[in-house]
Amino acid sequence: MPDTSPGPLEGIRILDLSTEPGLYCGKLLADMGADCIKVEPPGGDNARGLGPFFHDEVGRETSLTYWYFNTNKRFVTCNIDEHDGQHLFRELVKSADVVLESFTPGHMESRGIGYEQLKALKPDLVYISISPFGLDGPHRDWKTADIVTLAMAGVLTLAGDPTDPPNRMFGNQAYISSSIAAAEGAALALFHRERTGEGQLVEVSMQEALSIAQETAMMTWDFQKTSRQRNGELIRLPGLGTYQSADGYIYSMVGISGFGAPWTVLLDWMDDEGKAENLKSDPEYLEFLQSMNMRTLTALLMDPDAMAAKAPILNRIQEIVTAFYRSKTSMELYESGQGRRLLIGIISSPKDLLENPHLQAREWYQTTEFRGETVTYPGPPFRFMETPITLRRTVAPVGAHNLEVWSGETGVPLADLELFLSEGAL
Amino acid sequence: MTKPLEGIRVADFSWFGAGPIAGKALADFGAEVIRVESEVHIDGLRIGQPVRPGQEGYNASGYFNNFNPGKKSFLLNMGKEGAREIALRLIEKCDIFLANYSARVTENWALSYDSLSQANPKIIAAYMPLQGLWGPHRDYAGFGSLLTAIAGFNHLSGYPNRPPFGVGTNYPDYTVNCGHAVISIISALRYREKTGKGQMIELAQVESTAATLGTALMDYAINGRNQTRAGNRVPHMSPHGAFRCPDEPRTHPPASGQAADRERWVAIAVATDGDWAGMCSVAAGQPFAADPRFQTLLGRKQNEDDLEAAISAWTATQPAKELAARLQAAGCPAGLVQDAEDVLEHDEHMKARGYFQFLDHPETGLSAYDGPIARLHGTPGATELPAPLFGEHTFDIAVETLGYDPDQVAEMVANGILS
Repeated sequence: MPDTSPGPLEGIRILDLSTEPGLYCGKLLADMGADCIKVEPPGGDNARGLGPFFHDEVGRETSLTYWYFNTNKRFVTCNIDEHDGQHLFRELVKSADVVLESFTPGHMESRGIGYEQLKALKPDLVYISISPFGLDGPHRDWKTADIVTLAMAGVLTLAGDPTDPPNRMFGNQAYISSSIAAAEGAALALFHRERTGEGQLVEVSMQEALSIAQETAMMTWDFQKTSRQRNGELIRLPGLGTYQSADGYIYSMVGISGFGAPWTVLLDWMDDEGKAENLKSDPEYLEFLQSMNMRTLTALLMDPDAMAAKAPILNRIQEIVTAFYRSKTSMELYESGQGRRLLIGIISSPKDLLENPHLQAREWYQTTEFRGETVTYPGPPFRFMETPITLRRTVAPVGAHNLEVWSGETGVPLADLELFLSEGAL
Repeated sequence: MTKPLEGIRVADFSWFGAGPIAGKALADFGAEVIRVESEVHIDGLRIGQPVRPGQEGYNASGYFNNFNPGKKSFLLNMGKEGAREIALRLIEKCDIFLANYSARVTENWALSYDSLSQANPKIIAAYMPLQGLWGPHRDYAGFGSLLTAIAGFNHLSGYPNRPPFGVGTNYPDYTVNCGHAVISIISALRYREKTGKGQMIELAQVESTAATLGTALMDYAINGRNQTRAGNRVPHMSPHGAFRCPDEPRTHPPASGQAADRERWVAIAVATDGDWAGMCSVAAGQPFAADPRFQTLLGRKQNEDDLEAAISAWTATQPAKELAARLQAAGCPAGLVQDAEDVLEHDEHMKARGYFQFLDHPETGLSAYDGPIARLHGTPGATELPAPLFGEHTFDIAVETLGYDPDQVAEMVANGILS
C-alpha cells in the first residue's frame, strides 16, 4: 500500500530514477515522509554494487552505500530502455507528484519520458533533473564524476598541500551538494504547487550547485585579480592549526579576537598542569602572549622583518604548545578546552563520531535489524519538532515492491505483470 | 513570472556562512529577507576579505556580500533593553525565523521557540547552532574550519602521509548546512500551508555535516573499519585523480608567495571500460594505452602507482584545457582543474548559462555574485540586488514593517537600540 508515513512531505509520491549524484536527494525527500519509489533497471541499480558491504559480503542487498542513501524508499524495477517499460513508467507517473533523475540531458526525452512528454500526462508534475553541467550550454553533453565536478567548479584547486596534487574532499561531496541543491529545488517547487497547483521542471547543474563552495576564491579574483590556491595548512602559528594529540589530532583556533577564550587562557591551563615551562614566568613571553591574537599574528605574517625578529619567540611557544597538546587525548583536549571556551575541536575519525558522547546523548544514530544483527544508521541532518524523521524502511531486494506498486497501486493485471517480468520490461 | 516565495518574510538572525547562505536562497526565490545585525555583534564576514584594493569598512567585503544579495539590513542591538520587544514584533510579522548562534546566545536573548511561537504561533523557527540546542557539548563554540574537523572531514580527506589539515575551505557552511536548512524550512512551510501549523526545526551543524559522510560511519559501525585518508584514489575507479599538465603564464601578476607561472592540472575519472577506451584513444601511441596490465579495472587498481606515473608523464606534455576537451570528446569524464579565474572569466559554458550575476553595489561597484542554486523553469529565482549596506533598511523596516512612528524610531536610535 502507498507509504503514508507522517512527515512534512507526507502524501507526496516520488519516482526516483536517480543514479549516484541524485541518491542523497531521494533520501532527503523520502526521510521527510514522501512515498519515494526507487525505480531500478532490471537486475538493480549500479549503485547496489558500491562498497563497502555488510561484513564485506558483496551482493545486491548488502551495499552500505546503497543502504545509507536509500532509507525510507520502496523498490520496483522498470526497463525504461524498452517500449513496454516506458509505457509502464508513464502509467506510474500518473500517480506520482515528483520524478527525480540524474541522467545526462536528453536521456529521458529519447525514451519518450522527458519532462514535456510526462507533463502531458500529469500537468502538475514536479520534474527534477540533476545533470553534470545543466540542460544547455557547450558542455551540456560532457560526462562527469565527483572529482571532475569538484575540478570544474573551482573547488578541487583549493585543497591540498602545494607539493601534492589538488586534493579531493572525501565522500562524493559534488554528488552530495548537487543532491542538496536538487532537494532545495524540489521543496520550493512542491511549495509552489501546494499554493497554485502548478508543477514545473527543476534543473540542477552539478557544476553550478558546487560553485559557491569556492568560499572567497571567486570574489578574490573579482576584486583583486589573484587566484586563491591550495596552501595545505594556511596558517602555521602557535595555537592555530592541526596538532597531534596523544591519540590522534585536534584542530586549534586559539587567539581569534572576540571568539572563544584568548591565548592567556590556554597559557593558564598549561601552567596549571605544570607544562607552560617559562612562558608565564618570563616577561618577554608573557607580554607577547598577552598581546597575541589573530590580528597581531596576521600583522606579523604580513611583515617579514617583524616576523623574523619574533621567530625565536614564536618557535619556542610553538614547541611548548605542541608538547602540551601531544600529552593529552583528543577528546580530553576537546572537552577540557571547550570547557575553558577555547576553540579546540577533535579531528574525528568515523570511530570517534560513533563514540561521540554528544551525538550519543542526542540519540542521533538510528538502529534497525538485518539478518538478526543490530545495524546502525547515521541520523537525519535536521530535526522537525512537529513531524519527526524516523527510519521506517531500509533497502529491500531488487523489485521487492513490484507486486504492490505495479499490480496493487498502478492496476497492471497480474498476468501482464508476469509477462512483463519474463520479457524484461520490469 | 512569480517567484515561489513571494509574500514570505524572513527574520534572519544568522551570521557568517551557513545561515546567511540559506537566507540568500530564500531571497533568490522571492522571500523578503531581513538580516538582523548589530555593530556590537558584527558578522565577522562584514570585516573579512576579500575587498577591492584600498577599500575597507562594513560594506566592502566580497565574502559578506556574496552571501547576502537581495536582503535588507536592520540594525538591532539585542543587548539593549527594549530590543527583545522589537525582535518579537518583527518575528510576529514574519513567516520564518532563522538563526545559527549557539543555544546560549538565543537563550540570552530570550528568543527560544516558546517565546517565538507565543508571539507568532505559525512561525517556522529554524535554529542551526553548531552542536544543536541540547546535549553535553551544547555550548561548544566554533566556526566552519572547526566543524570540518569535528564532523569527520579532516580525518577522511587528503593524502595519508599528511596530517589531517582539512579541505582548504569551510566547505560544510557553503552547500551542506545552508542547503539542509533551506530544505527543512521550505518543507515545513509546505506543511504549514496544508495544516496551518508552524514548527521548530533544529539543525545541529555537526549532525548535518556528519550526515554527508554516512557510508564511512556505517562502515565503522557495521564492519569495524575505521576509514582514513586515501588521497584522490577511490575503490571503484582507476585512474582517478588530478594529473599535472604544463604550467602556463599568468594573465595577471601572481599574489605574494605564488609562483610566476600558473600550475595546470586535469582531473580524470575512469569508471568503465568505455571510459578507459576513450582515454586510450586520446593517448594513442602512449605505452600505457596498450599495456596489458592496464586493460581491466582490477589490473589498473593493482598497478595504480605505475599507471599514475605513466599518465602523469603523458599529461606533462599536454595543454590542460585542450586535453580535458579531447578526453570528453572521446567519452572519458575529465575536466580542467579550474581556479576562480577560469570559472569566472574563461569557462565558456558557465558564461553561456549566465550563472554568475554582476550586480552594481554602491561601494564595490559592479561585482560578481553566485546565482540561484537551482533553475526552476516555472518560477525561476534570481539574484537581482546586491548585498545591503550596513543598516541600510533599519528606518524603513521600523516604520513600514513594524509600524513604529518616526519619532519612536528616532528615540530608539538615540538609545542605541536601533542604528
